[in-house]
Amino acid sequence: MALILLLAPPLVASLSVMLVRGRMRLVAASTVALNALSLSASVWMCGDALWRGRTIVSSDGFWRVDGLSALLALSIATVTLLASAFGPGLGEADEYDEGQARRFRIFVNAFALMMLVAVTTNNVGFMWVTIEATTITSAVVIPLHRTKSSVEASWKYLLICSVGIALAFAGTVLAYFDFVSTAGRVPNALNWTVLRAAAPTLQGELMQLAFAFIVVGYGTKAGLAPMHTWLPDAHSEAPAPLSAMMSGVLLAVAMYAIARWKAVVDVALGSDFASQLLLAAGLLSVAVGAFSLVIQRHYKRMLAYSSVEHIGLVSVGLALGPLGAFAAWLHLVNHAVAKSMAFLLAGRILHRYRTTEIAGVSGLLHVMPWTGRLFAMAILALVGLPPFGLFVSEFLLVRAAIHTGHLWTAAVVLLLVLVAFVSLLGHLNRMLYGAAPVGVAVGESCGWRIAALAGCAAILVVLGVALPWPVTGIIERSVSAVVMP
Amino acid sequence: MEGIFARLVVLAASGMLLTGLIVLWRKGVPAYIAAFTWQSWLLSGMTAAVGYLGGEPQLYLVAVILLLLKGIALPALLRATDRRFSTRRELLAYVNTETSLIVGGMLVLFAYVLTEPWMAMTKLPTRAALPVAMALLFVSLFIIVSRKKAITQVIGFLMLENSIALLAVVGTYGVPLLVELGVFLDALMGFLVMQIFLYDIHETFETLEVDQLARLKH
Repeated sequence: MALILLLAPPLVASLSVMLVRGRMRLVAASTVALNALSLSASVWMCGDALWRGRTIVSSDGFWRVDGLSALLALSIATVTLLASAFGPGLGEADEYDEGQARRFRIFVNAFALMMLVAVTTNNVGFMWVTIEATTITSAVVIPLHRTKSSVEASWKYLLICSVGIALAFAGTVLAYFDFVSTAGRVPNALNWTVLRAAAPTLQGELMQLAFAFIVVGYGTKAGLAPMHTWLPDAHSEAPAPLSAMMSGVLLAVAMYAIARWKAVVDVALGSDFASQLLLAAGLLSVAVGAFSLVIQRHYKRMLAYSSVEHIGLVSVGLALGPLGAFAAWLHLVNHAVAKSMAFLLAGRILHRYRTTEIAGVSGLLHVMPWTGRLFAMAILALVGLPPFGLFVSEFLLVRAAIHTGHLWTAAVVLLLVLVAFVSLLGHLNRMLYGAAPVGVAVGESCGWRIAALAGCAAILVVLGVALPWPVTGIIERSVSAVVMP
Repeated sequence: MEGIFARLVVLAASGMLLTGLIVLWRKGVPAYIAAFTWQSWLLSGMTAAVGYLGGEPQLYLVAVILLLLKGIALPALLRATDRRFSTRRELLAYVNTETSLIVGGMLVLFAYVLTEPWMAMTKLPTRAALPVAMALLFVSLFIIVSRKKAITQVIGFLMLENSIALLAVVGTYGVPLLVELGVFLDALMGFLVMQIFLYDIHETFETLEVDQLARLKH
């Protein structure tokens, strides 16, 4: 029931925009309402997982929602609602015409649906199908304005991610081959629960290779270095609401897929092979992200590289046992909120200043007082300053590294986070202060969009100061879903 | 019976690998499309054969879809795209033909070394084709990274998909039907979107050579 309520709204939204011509404003508003419905279903799922400790499993075992799925569904639905509310077609003056607004609404809802199915299905083959479909549905929306750079970015995105994700399918097939060779052809063999139950009998060497393919494949989608090369282009060229979804939750869905497979591989190999791989990829991503931040000249690309850094931190966290996994899932939630907020604000800045260059933006606090303040808060959250949530999750991550004896990892992570800290604050400083460029209108009214973004900031503060128990509860369930006790 | 079956499968798989290697030394998009078409027909035929001899009737359906989609529809679309854009027959690559072929040979060798231990794991009569499938996978990846034209990258990508389908058929007699259908749907949608982008690239850049796509750096 909750599952239908979660998945049907984006489907209905996508179809209704496709079928209804005209009345754009009404249709767009109703898609926002549908996204809100989807969000309430995901809250219900989290409550179910939390209070009743229930795992929703459909009768044929195809769908399965545990704490981790509910957590991811909640993040996806929240960011989708935000993106939908900030998207074109709601009647306010923006730079998109009606055709572009329709294209945006059709594909963004399809994109959201695919992500939601990916985290609620139990079948890893079908999970792959939907993650591949996210590439297609989101690539169509990137060149909403057909410019040279947006066409280039979407081509790179589509080709690199399609090839990467094809390798993840090769990994899935190899794991299935392993399973069929040892256990024979049984129905539902690609169900995650079946694979995990059979994991102790699987042949280790083949699973190693399969997992390597899977990490390269889904890692491409997650933006793990060195497969991240498409990410800064696609995330910076996409319309702001789509950037928010891609950076905030699409990367998280790809990490979710890796974590599900890691749970199988850990049992099959009985060693820390998977952890070593994720640790190496994670540290490399943090390093690439942090050092690329130093030389950034464009603020949207700056946010994109910051995503590479944060996904690297999540990957490191998943490699550090239960404590690390706790930090990783918390970090993923924090990052989803902070990064989508930052991208939506960057969209507002771009709309006013008409440039993506950091050097072209000055006096932001004077020109757009609300946007400026909120943008400063988002960046301060992203560099991991208290009182925002990312401070807590990064702290927990380093603590997990020290607890598990990875002292060097802890030191390297701290150092790289410091590099990111210094460079991001430097860029922010340049944007906030100084005289406004000539020809840029000064002043800003405080509408409901600003209120929504202030709500994001409030969530980050709550996660940073209090970390209320429903949050810790659902994240503990997420940890136990993929980490052996 | 089983002996003939095994030999047939290895023959078809080797044929598919050969069509992959042809791309490394032939020049001209039509030759690439022809190689891909042959490859898809071989894959489809083999899937049907494995369905018959392995007693998996669902593979007939997969074989028919393969034939219609990758054997007929996609090559036709590719030819239409090529007719529209082709200005120069010669194709450019980052790597010259001789080096390409040597690298191709090394990749095949690597695939055999990699799959050596798998032979002990499975008793399927089709297992001898496993190294060939992995070899085709590596060769397709090499095609994608070493060619300069967007359309050849698309063909390389389609060959990569074929190689994974081959791996699934010879290793496991096919993945579950529902997943297989999803994969086909994705392949079709992905290809159509790529096709749209080919037109977009052509219109905005007036070329299909991807080294012109270098505006976005850092």
